[in-house]
Amino acid sequence: MNFVSRGWGWSLLLLALAFPFIPFGDRTQFVQQIAVFVLSSATLALSWDVLARTGQLSLAHAAFYGLGAYSYALLATAGVPQILAFLAAGVIAALASLLLGAVTMRLQGMYFAIATLAFAEVIKTIVNQLSFTGGPQGYLVPALLGGDFLGVYYLGLGVLVVLILISSFILRSKLGFAFTAIRQGELVARVLGVDVTRYKLLAFVISSFFVGLTGAFVAGKTFYITPPSAFDTGVSVVALVMPIFGGLYSSAGPVLAAVILRVLEEVLKLVAPSAYLIAYGAILVLSILYLPKGILGLLERFRGRK
Amino acid sequence: MTTFFQTFLNGLLQSGIYALVASGLALSVGVVGIVNFAHGEFLMVGAFIAYALLAAFGLDPIISLIPTAIILFAFGALVYRSSLRHVLKAPELNQMLLTFGIGIVLTNMALQIYGSTPRTMNVAYQGSSLQFAGLSIGLARGGAFVLAAAILAGLYWVLGRTRTGKAMQAVAQNRVGATLIGLEVDRLYLIAFGVSSALAGVAGVMVSVLLYASPYVGLVFTLKAFAIIVMAGLGNLRAVIPAAFVLGLAEAYVQTYVPDGGGWAEAVFFALIFVSLVWRSWRIR
Repeated sequence: MNFVSRGWGWSLLLLALAFPFIPFGDRTQFVQQIAVFVLSSATLALSWDVLARTGQLSLAHAAFYGLGAYSYALLATAGVPQILAFLAAGVIAALASLLLGAVTMRLQGMYFAIATLAFAEVIKTIVNQLSFTGGPQGYLVPALLGGDFLGVYYLGLGVLVVLILISSFILRSKLGFAFTAIRQGELVARVLGVDVTRYKLLAFVISSFFVGLTGAFVAGKTFYITPPSAFDTGVSVVALVMPIFGGLYSSAGPVLAAVILRVLEEVLKLVAPSAYLIAYGAILVLSILYLPKGILGLLERFRGRK
Repeated sequence: MTTFFQTFLNGLLQSGIYALVASGLALSVGVVGIVNFAHGEFLMVGAFIAYALLAAFGLDPIISLIPTAIILFAFGALVYRSSLRHVLKAPELNQMLLTFGIGIVLTNMALQIYGSTPRTMNVAYQGSSLQFAGLSIGLARGGAFVLAAAILAGLYWVLGRTRTGKAMQAVAQNRVGATLIGLEVDRLYLIAFGVSSALAGVAGVMVSVLLYASPYVGLVFTLKAFAIIVMAGLGNLRAVIPAAFVLGLAEAYVQTYVPDGGGWAEAVFFALIFVSLVWRSWRIR
């Protein structure tokens, strides 16, 4: 965390704020597209990291992402003001996570991961079978903020900045110690007087609120959702790949990884449209083998040498 | 009543392949301690090997079982040596991600070579079936079940009666203890992971005949194998077969008796994993 100092943070924020006004010529639309996806991926990745700090390695991000997308779509179509529908998407996802978190409270490690994966698949099937969600035919989503790029970009950036602030607050406050203690040994944490149940659920609710918002955000940008697209297992995978690639348990790592991996993905798509996933998978394998502490670990090692 | 028994039979026959896939995964989880998220992709590779052998040499899938098993064993051993071995002591999450990455690479390589259209196999016995007391058994389906049962019997014989098999069980029960009494853990891991991959490959050959070969056929089998080993208890090899029966039957009955059951049947597995995991966690303490 110390690596990305406050000065860096401010300059990056300024860059992000000014980004839509940087001219990219005839590539502008392409770059804007990537920028929006970087924002949503970064939010997804950081929200996963916040949850992982309590030792809960979730594969249910797709479930809350999809719930957010469908909540927004259904509410906005029903005439609820868009911003309210957008926030409600986060709240509904957070409430669902409270339920999941309470039930899976006692599961550890791999068992927890598999149970959350199963939860996501069950939710997907239910949404697929219901009639008011459009079932397998999918659902048309009202464009968020009328599809205006500047509005959408700053909304995405705003959500991400709020999450970064919350995440950094958690790391510096008592909460961070409680989360770490739970991760390193739940029993010991309990003995030390940490209210494990409360903190685990809190992490779940914070995380899922932002995942729900991201789901609504992306749905409001793509205009159309189906159960397989909104509850795509790939969402859960991306959400955990990025923090690991960037460096776990920090605010900078997941965000940095989202920028690098997303841009890399788009460039690979341009260079090798059909084979980019092979490269993506290979990068994943290699980074686990050779960069166990992620990009941040690499940077720290580099700095330590000077 | 006939429907009831026919459904029972369908579920039973289906559970043969499930048991085969799940025992492979259980070996990898129980002995090596790695939850292999690419297990279904190994199965997919097996399915394509069978397809390629049929297309190139007209080799019957029944014969292809043997070369496929050998190739997949070697492939599994290679994957273990080159990657898994180096993360054995890393956090579970990293191991999981590593195998995820391997799965992504395999799926997309298959996509590059064969495209996304599922490839069906044209074998003479595919369409024929046996009629018995009003019930019908597809010849391919029944044959696959018998083969799966035979392979599993062989596997459990090796595990229970041979030195290597017993050593593997020892590692599954107590890793440290096994090292202390002088077992060559690294070699056992290599063999266990190779056998695990070979089992996936063999199941893949059967899937290629019964269903089709497709780059995306793997994931659903990984998930179903998880469902089974989770019900059996991670690493519990013996309970895999009854768990496979339970899941195969549950799926078949939901498909037949629940209205619009085809859509729900997919969720049965996941509902079962979720409930059995949660149920266990709240009962233990």
